[in-house]
Amino acid sequence: MTALMYAIKLAKEHQAQATAVYVVNTKALSDLVKSGIFVAVERDEYQRDLYEDADRYLRHAQHLADEKGVEIDTVKLEGSVHVVVKELVKSLGADLLILGGVSDIRSRRDELASETDRMMRTAPCPVLVVREDDDIWDEFER
Amino acid sequence: MNVLEALEKDLIKVPLESSEKYAIIRELVEVAAQVKGYDGDALLDAILARERLGSTGIGNGIAIPHAKSDAVDKVTMVIGVSKIPVDFESIDNQKARIFFLVIAPSKEASAHVELLASIARSCSSGIFRRMLEQAKDADEVIQLFME
Repeated sequence: MTALMYAIKLAKEHQAQATAVYVVNTKALSDLVKSGIFVAVERDEYQRDLYEDADRYLRHAQHLADEKGVEIDTVKLEGSVHVVVKELVKSLGADLLILGGVSDIRSRRDELASETDRMMRTAPCPVLVVREDDDIWDEFER
Repeated sequence: MNVLEALEKDLIKVPLESSEKYAIIRELVEVAAQVKGYDGDALLDAILARERLGSTGIGNGIAIPHAKSDAVDKVTMVIGVSKIPVDFESIDNQKARIFFLVIAPSKEASAHVELLASIARSCSSGIFRRMLEQAKDADEVIQLFME
């Protein structure tokens, strides 16, 4: 959420067009079925839940942008997160990708599997990583 | 959410005392209920309902009993390691020694899916699984995940 706030502030300051994207990670769901953790009926149920999460998040993004008078497009995608984000950035010709959800890397295994890390490495444009920071929330509220 | 973000020392039990599938599930649920103050019966009902759809013994000596339940307020993971291989009706018919109990509130579907995927990734290495099976206490389990 911090990255979203930061993006809206930045878009306002630069009079830029912002796009909020939520990727339903259907790749992870398929992997869970393949590895035997999920049964098919369970995958379908979780997929519905994830779509509802996406709608909630994007509604909130629209609400925050409206609050600041920033024009925002909302996009809901599905697939492998870093792959579809890369394709979207290309198709939009975006100048900047703003990412959040960065946690401290505490093991090598984390680093290799982190979707944020993959997006940073594969994005076809400059990337801005926003850490969770109370100051950004405070600044947004002002 | 990944394994390290869900990992809590108090939610790791090594070794487990039970030697039968449903006793193991109850033992793991009890850890969550005692440490977090959750309603153990509600958790057990949710886990058993999921288990009725098919065993969560995913093979290679791993079982990941899991469920959605609003009896928890955040995604909760209990890890247990058994000294004795336990018949968990796993898909490869191998007995299991490593158990991850994962329970998540319904509003945290995304974190729940991410955590399950993270567990699967972590346990895809045979060497890692063997080291986990040899862990003597919670500290050793944590250390292994942090490497």
